[in-house]
Amino acid sequence: MVDLQEYSRLFSAYTELRVQENRSVTVGFIKGNNTVNTRSTTGGVSARVYKNGSWGFASTPELQRDAIVSIVKAATDNAEFLGSRTGVAKGPLPTVAASHDSSFATKKPRLTQKQLVDFIKEIDDHIATRYPGLQSRSVFLNCLDIEKSVVTSDGSRFTSMTPRSHIFITLCVEKDGEPVDLYQVHGGLGQFEDVFESPDVLFPEIEKQYEHLMRKSEGVYPDAGLKTCVLDAELAGILAHEAIGHTTEADIVLGGSVAQHLIGQEVASPLVTLVDFANTAFGQTCPVPVYVDDEGTKAEDVVIIDKGVLKGYMHNKETANHFNAAPTGNARAYTFSDEPLIRMRNTAILPGTSKLEDMIASVDDGYYLIRSKNGQADSTSEFMFGIELGYEIKNGKLGRAIKNTTISGVAYDVLKTVSMVSDEMHWTGAGMCGKKQPIPVGMGGPAVKCRLSIGGR
Amino acid sequence: MWHDVDRDVMTAKRSLDALMRTGADKAYTGLAISERHEMNIEAGEIKLLRTTFNTSLHLSVIKDSKKGHIGLNKSDDASIEKAVADVMDIAAGAQPDEAHDIAEWQEPAEFHKGPTTPDLDAMYDRLKGFVATVSRRYPKINLRQVILSFTRSRAYVMNSNGVDFRTFRGTYHFMAMFSAGEGDKVSSFNASGVSMLDLDRDLIDCGSIDMLLRQSCEQITTRPVEGKFVGDVIVAPDAFGDIWGFLFNAISDGPVISDTSIYKDKVGELITSPELTLHCRPVADEIADGYFVTGDGYAAKNSTIIEKGVLKGLLLSLYGSRKTGRERAVNQGGAIVVEPGNSSLSDLIRSVKKGILLCRLSGGAPNNYGDFSGVAKNSYLIEGGEIKHPLSETMISGNLAEAYKNITGISRERIDYGSAILPWIAFSGLTISGK
Repeated sequence: MVDLQEYSRLFSAYTELRVQENRSVTVGFIKGNNTVNTRSTTGGVSARVYKNGSWGFASTPELQRDAIVSIVKAATDNAEFLGSRTGVAKGPLPTVAASHDSSFATKKPRLTQKQLVDFIKEIDDHIATRYPGLQSRSVFLNCLDIEKSVVTSDGSRFTSMTPRSHIFITLCVEKDGEPVDLYQVHGGLGQFEDVFESPDVLFPEIEKQYEHLMRKSEGVYPDAGLKTCVLDAELAGILAHEAIGHTTEADIVLGGSVAQHLIGQEVASPLVTLVDFANTAFGQTCPVPVYVDDEGTKAEDVVIIDKGVLKGYMHNKETANHFNAAPTGNARAYTFSDEPLIRMRNTAILPGTSKLEDMIASVDDGYYLIRSKNGQADSTSEFMFGIELGYEIKNGKLGRAIKNTTISGVAYDVLKTVSMVSDEMHWTGAGMCGKKQPIPVGMGGPAVKCRLSIGGR
Repeated sequence: MWHDVDRDVMTAKRSLDALMRTGADKAYTGLAISERHEMNIEAGEIKLLRTTFNTSLHLSVIKDSKKGHIGLNKSDDASIEKAVADVMDIAAGAQPDEAHDIAEWQEPAEFHKGPTTPDLDAMYDRLKGFVATVSRRYPKINLRQVILSFTRSRAYVMNSNGVDFRTFRGTYHFMAMFSAGEGDKVSSFNASGVSMLDLDRDLIDCGSIDMLLRQSCEQITTRPVEGKFVGDVIVAPDAFGDIWGFLFNAISDGPVISDTSIYKDKVGELITSPELTLHCRPVADEIADGYFVTGDGYAAKNSTIIEKGVLKGLLLSLYGSRKTGRERAVNQGGAIVVEPGNSSLSDLIRSVKKGILLCRLSGGAPNNYGDFSGVAKNSYLIEGGEIKHPLSETMISGNLAEAYKNITGISRERIDYGSAILPWIAFSGLTISGK
């Protein structure tokens, strides 16, 4: 990474200067065909300048000295262009100085592309051999390294290298002439060599995926309507992120989110505590650890809901000023050419004291929902998740699998119906959140029992 | 400008030559140089001006039927030299597949569309005018994020069969995301966008923006439908992708190659009601934001995907075509133009006994055979041919492949998004359920 400190003398207003490189590897097999085999690198330098309430930003892929100098000037000129027209003068941003270096780069020898392709092919061959009745299968590897270095005019500096590696497996079986599929993701924080030991480590998980798929192929449509459901940990994490988390990002609060009127109010069952962790939870590193954000603020945990009461929002420097709060270290940018936005990091509902089996046993007529394929929510906290895997619960026992469906509700209402929270915590780090830019996020939670609407026929 | 073009062409040619010298059987180079100017409104204020420069270089090689691809955003000699060596290693590690190939020779061509320079003052004035008009016309609106940008690019596609295409483009894009609020009540957010070749019109008059702003103000107070019924759904142009994305995905490479597409053997068959004719028109004058060259190196052509309900072809790439033995598409989809129908939108609404005007669907991805369910957002209940009230907590479910065959009407009115031109389309027989 380029040493940026020497350019700080060019700063004439509040300025962030960032060099960043995103490196990705994708290897994919569809039905035994090696359809994708690619590497890509996107990198460069950007500057963002704040002057009297206006922001200027500029970026270039070039890293030579004159390019960096010109980018600082272009960002400053842009801030001045807007400032000269808006005529709105605002005060300075909060000054925070932080310094940190973090790297999750592997210390092991790096595998070649051929070794990666062979690794994925071995998984694909195993599936083809062991499950010959499948109609189709796909195995994809996706690795992403994000490496950055930032200096700011108020004295912060940091470097980070945050990688993640995931293998996505989809199995498909034909049932009555129609394809039924089920996907599963493996992996997490770290470069490939630290995340995946050998293909056979995944085989027991693939066996479980296949068993779920077979049950799903015999699945039934859920009975549409308002139902008591046990959301497994993975779904609780998405609920925390999509349905509540987004409404408490301070820029969305300013844009009119329903949470703007709810601070200090009871918005959930007292069993619910929801936190956006910066980097460490329960003594473990989170899936997307952030130590200093891209504005140079030391990243702090944000308690969003404490025992059912809405406590706080996630901030960047500017919204912290607006709300007379401290910046929380949530400002992150995806690529070198993106400006930092308020983004969640590792958002989770905290575990409770119930056992998952007791939660299922307590439901007379409902559903146990395990895996989601996607999710959306809006400013009202009304959410929708696509359900990829779930089972009926009848008289306290798991019943038939269900076909793909959708669950929905108003999150601040649904969380008030939470009556049990399990004692197990599960994190996922494969998520990519979309908000002008994509960005990796971690989501976590225990299993949660609540009432919500389920789609069906 | 022409000095830049000469340099770009030299860079692309040098990359291609290096790939062939290093032992590739076939090679492809795609080089794009872009510059983007972007003004942003956040929480109602013009806050941020961005200027971003980028380079995109894609190199693909085929060696002994093994394919490798690398992408980078540098084009200096040292970066190209390293990328050439790396992509040969990537290909060496691949599994061989006879279906990999590159586009055959075509007549070299140059394509131009749109202005070459942004008018920053006009951009600022249009944006400021938009904020003022929204504030005056719709005082309950919160403009959460609004972006007006201008992107210009020079793009070059070359391959070892002699393909040589050069594209020069400039396009304005406008996107607005907003909600409405009154007291402690807020509407769902809504968003739309439009692509343009000039800034001649007020931004509020572009695409569906004004209609959606008005609707958001109506949607501060909502209620669910009562119970569950099978009814009609009129899909607004902004919800087109939510309903028709299933079809476009199912006729593309992945599902056809993996044998999970229900449409893979349906070319020439009726798959929708005969009222529907749908084109992909990336090089049409009526499409401001199309494309001229496909990702696999062919000059794009306009095509008809569905003609009077009949599926005319799949959207297969060169690889998908060779892999499945089916015909390659003459474009890569998008730039959708749906032929207008014979009814006015008000006629479509009048014909609905009980149903929904669906303006946005928040739904899970449909399964492979088209079963879907989702939440009707920013939408309205229709009863007795009249719009009754905006909805919340209302779900729609059904099967998309069946729904396509149950089109009951298409509106004469269409929205021009610059990247697509779409009408309202009415379907019967979908399940609608409230709380």
